[in-house]
Amino acid sequence: MSEPAFSTENDPRIGWEAADKPPSRSEAAYRKDATDNDSVIRLRGITKEFERGGERLRVLQSLDFDVARGSFEALMGPSGSGKSTLLNLIAGLDRPTSGSIEIDGQRIDQMNESKLASWRANSVGFVFQSYNLLPVLTAVENVELPLLLTPVAASERRKRAQTALRVVGLEDRMEHFPRQLSGGQEQRVSIARAIVTDPLLIVADEPTGDLDRQSADDILKLLETLNQSLGKTIVMVTHDPAAAERATITRHLDKGRLK
Amino acid sequence: MTFASLAARNVLRNKVRTVLTIMGVAVAIVTFLLLRTVLSSWTAAADFAAKDRVVTRHKITFVMPLPKRYIDQVRQTPGVKTATYANWFGGRNPNKEDQFFGTFAVDPDTYFVVYDDIAVPEGDLKAFKEDKRGVILGDVLAKSMEWKVGDEITLESGIYAPPADSQWTFTVRGIYTAKSRAVDRSSLLLHWDYMNDSLPEGRRDAIGWVVSRVTDPSQSAGMGVTLDKLFDDQDVQTLSQDEHSFNASFLAGFSAVLKAINFVTLAILLIMTLIMANTIAMGVRERTSEYGTMRAIGFMPKHIVFFVVIEAAVLGLLGGIVGVAIGYPFVERGLGRYLEENMGTLFPFFRVPPLMMVAALGLSVMLGLLASVIPAYLATRIRVTDALRRVV
Repeated sequence: MSEPAFSTENDPRIGWEAADKPPSRSEAAYRKDATDNDSVIRLRGITKEFERGGERLRVLQSLDFDVARGSFEALMGPSGSGKSTLLNLIAGLDRPTSGSIEIDGQRIDQMNESKLASWRANSVGFVFQSYNLLPVLTAVENVELPLLLTPVAASERRKRAQTALRVVGLEDRMEHFPRQLSGGQEQRVSIARAIVTDPLLIVADEPTGDLDRQSADDILKLLETLNQSLGKTIVMVTHDPAAAERATITRHLDKGRLK
Repeated sequence: MTFASLAARNVLRNKVRTVLTIMGVAVAIVTFLLLRTVLSSWTAAADFAAKDRVVTRHKITFVMPLPKRYIDQVRQTPGVKTATYANWFGGRNPNKEDQFFGTFAVDPDTYFVVYDDIAVPEGDLKAFKEDKRGVILGDVLAKSMEWKVGDEITLESGIYAPPADSQWTFTVRGIYTAKSRAVDRSSLLLHWDYMNDSLPEGRRDAIGWVVSRVTDPSQSAGMGVTLDKLFDDQDVQTLSQDEHSFNASFLAGFSAVLKAINFVTLAILLIMTLIMANTIAMGVRERTSEYGTMRAIGFMPKHIVFFVVIEAAVLGLLGGIVGVAIGYPFVERGLGRYLEENMGTLFPFFRVPPLMMVAALGLSVMLGLLASVIPAYLATRIRVTDALRRVV
């Protein structure tokens, strides 16, 4: 990556230095790390139930799940298998009915709402299928949005957002509004927004679901780069086998259980 | 980008809806300003009443007269600087019977001393005093009736029959203007003596009320009691009030109308709040997925409340500004002048009080905030995972 690293002067969390890049590793190595207690994500005995029309629906059943630091994992499975529910639990958007969720040593299932929101702001980058950009904000402002929650000064916020947009190759689209961008470009902005706080973890829910093949390929390449060059741990839900192939590990869920 | 600028930017998201809402709020604010100005103009006579004037009238009602000799007793009372008297003449212009104006029979020597907020050119006043059939008119009445100094005019009275085989004819001797808002610029003042001399023997020497100026304005209420005591044992008892109370008691006769205006004002403000609440609620509903995204990336419910509340406040403020920008010149340059010139008796000073404009702006912001309460609450109740599932 030829882009300059983020400034580390004011925020030690921002450290996209070339020296930090982990070497490319095999699936076996990541699986080994995950079982050798080097997992950044550790779920134990996770059960998740929903109430639908007066009926209790069990979506995840006694699930154990580990993800090694720096891994790029794809979650696949048929609709209703619990992929998105699992992703929501990992990202701290939902709480399990039972079981524990430990991310980088922190029990997020025990955090209160405000602490959990703060944890998400600092530790998780989100990439959504429909990009979920705010239409009233330009590309650079959308990327800047998560930084509003940090004590970073306005000028530094803007600088970091610009750098993140350069990372995703949109330096010439900074002042464009989402409606002025293609789907692929919107998703790039969304990825820039996900990485601007230099999170520990990136969760992507069907990031290529709304894109044509070429744009999808570009987005997957970008995620791959973020994983390999910047060492970001990525968990991606996808229906697309071609997308799953880009991940280092692919896991299959069916009826709430990992296969 | 800041929290506030992000919140404010949402106001312009749906421009047509925002403009229509702002116009809705603006119309409500214009109506609010008009109704409040009606009230303030109507009560101006009471609000701006002189503090040192005490009005003494018949204890039962001001329609019943007092013996003229009462004025001498009032004048001799310690604490009374000077006093005058007047009668309601009930005159109207037979050529313009639909135009109402106040006509008072007054004592020319003392009336303008007691009512020193009426401005009469010295020459006009002298001419009026010297001519028993002379009258002085307010400038607004003179304009609307197209009467000028020197004109011979004829009036009809619903109370007093004209002199035998004749009519009530007068000569305009002067035009007065106002030094205070309490002065009705569309009244006509005639000589009490001329009226009295023309009446049959049995109806003479009766006055409508006495107006005194007291030496100590802070003792006006006490002076009223003192004056009433003078006549306690006489054939006609009196009720004395400071001018503010007297005017207010006169206005009390219109209390149903005043209450109706207050009620309509409240109804309009309620409608305005509901219009804004509807707009804000629609915006919140449309942005459910965005709020879900923001919550996901770390924004808390309090941030979402902030966005909703600021948007509502900005919407209210913009509506208020547009409303005042339309309402103020409309009254100042159009309606106000028209009403003062054509309905001066009811609205001697029909202008938007400056404080009313500030109140209108404050109110529009406050009601905007009120309108945001339910939508803001609903926005915080959105579950992040449900919101993210919502298709935009």
